[in-house]
Amino acid sequence: MKLEIKNVTKKFKEKTAVNNFSMELQSGECVGLIGPNGAGKSTLIKVIADIIDPSTGEVLLDGKKISKMKKEIGYLPQYPNFFQWMTAKETLTFMGQLSGIKREELLNGIPEILSKVGLSGEENSKVRTFSGGMKQRLGIAQALLHKPALIVMDEPVSALDPIGRREVLNIIKEIKKDTTILLSTHILSDAEEICERFVIIKSGKKIEDTTMSELLNRNSGNKINVDITSKSQKWIENVKSLNFVKGVEVMGNKLKIEVEDIESNKNMLLANALEHNVDLVRFEIDNDTLEEIFLKLVVEK
Amino acid sequence: MNNFAVLAKKEFVQMVREFKVIWLPLVFIFLGITQPVVSYYLPSILEALGGGQGITIDPSMAAQKGGEVLASTLGSQFDQLGVMIIIVSMMGVVQSDKANGMLAFILTRPVTVGSYISGKIISNYLFVACSVALGYLVSYLYVVFLFTSVDFGDLIVALLFYLLWILFIVSFTTMISTIFNSQGIIALISIVFLLGCRIIVGLSPVIDNVNPASMSKHAMEVLILGTVNSQALWGVLAALAWTAVTILITNIWISKKKFNNE
Repeated sequence: MKLEIKNVTKKFKEKTAVNNFSMELQSGECVGLIGPNGAGKSTLIKVIADIIDPSTGEVLLDGKKISKMKKEIGYLPQYPNFFQWMTAKETLTFMGQLSGIKREELLNGIPEILSKVGLSGEENSKVRTFSGGMKQRLGIAQALLHKPALIVMDEPVSALDPIGRREVLNIIKEIKKDTTILLSTHILSDAEEICERFVIIKSGKKIEDTTMSELLNRNSGNKINVDITSKSQKWIENVKSLNFVKGVEVMGNKLKIEVEDIESNKNMLLANALEHNVDLVRFEIDNDTLEEIFLKLVVEK
Repeated sequence: MNNFAVLAKKEFVQMVREFKVIWLPLVFIFLGITQPVVSYYLPSILEALGGGQGITIDPSMAAQKGGEVLASTLGSQFDQLGVMIIIVSMMGVVQSDKANGMLAFILTRPVTVGSYISGKIISNYLFVACSVALGYLVSYLYVVFLFTSVDFGDLIVALLFYLLWILFIVSFTTMISTIFNSQGIIALISIVFLLGCRIIVGLSPVIDNVNPASMSKHAMEVLILGTVNSQALWGVLAALAWTAVTILITNIWISKKKFNNE
């Protein structure tokens, strides 16, 4: 399986929601599409799910137009609604039959998929009575039912409470072992938890396509954060005089020490601190969190 | 074809769950009873309520023929309140699927727009047609009981004409429901347009030949006169053609994804 998004642009009247966006997705990958609200994530997801047509450009799955490959795609909308009057089982039967699955297969497949998403015992409850998390899990069940090669999810966890979020994240972690996943989110810690690859989108444009570790490495400066207690304040002067230290920022008892080479200097600094009997509270390499990197990318560019 | 069956079945299950399967036939049975019963008792009602002073009641009023009463069931009950109720019961047919995102969702599956629309129109038409036929049949029984009997052949021919007009009502409402997003607007446009079509029937023979509502007039003529108007064929073709046009517009509208205008 290979998903190609080629120069997709989508305009709504005067507003350009997606602007010349291209990316490729290989089998087995799990890609997080992240961006602030209104960046064009949902629009792009909808173009991929063939709900809206792009103004220009195309989306190909295995070299074929996406509209001819619907059986290979499982789609989870941002707010899966379903028919309120259907039961969970009826919903899955309905969506499954529309996907072209035979009745006999559904008979076995539905209980299996329901237990996978933790909805066993709810097969005969009406969708109306479901909580947001349960609906989302039913949505995932529906997206998985016809064993698609690619699952596209639009903000699968954004609207859920912490418990529902945890449940859904665990299910996604489980299913990503055997499917390709593309999901959008504006919650970074979620993306960080399930995806290896990130595509950051802003104002409809792709501004970054990278992996987690690359992103963190690229953005780490040669800085060490040290917290000390007030009785060791004297050590600060000592640190400033060390030859490998390029600068020290002091914020109360917190020090941010910039060194020449983090690999070799960090232990030297620690040794120096121990030598001076410094009362250490915390000693760590200063890494930008994903959130900081995200803010930098999205706000500055 | 398989998807059509799944979607049509879903429509029927929904009608049962929402009790539409009970109330719509009941409404038409009620409307069907009203005309013969009111026509029959109107002289006595007027006599009892009107004080009797200076009022002469034409005895011929009570001596209407069965066919005439049945025709006015179609013309006065079904074509007014009946049409409005059909419209109101169907205004959400596509609109509700658009509003909760199910239309877009269904179309992410390998479902053709054609099977979606045919599932909607055929299932709803069958159901509305059965309700109307049931009301018509009950009206017929009352007419036979209270007035004179109606030729069975005429009865069926008139019903077939009338059901063609119903077909246009169903497909037109489905089209409006696809294009507009507010239930109020859908009901308003459909009611104004369809009742408008019905009102202009009889103004000019030329307009009648292209007006699907003339089917209702032909049905009434069959019941009253016992003969089929020679112009009826044009009306039938026009009604079928307009139905095809509304379905085509619905199809194009959904295929072009215009329902997704964010």
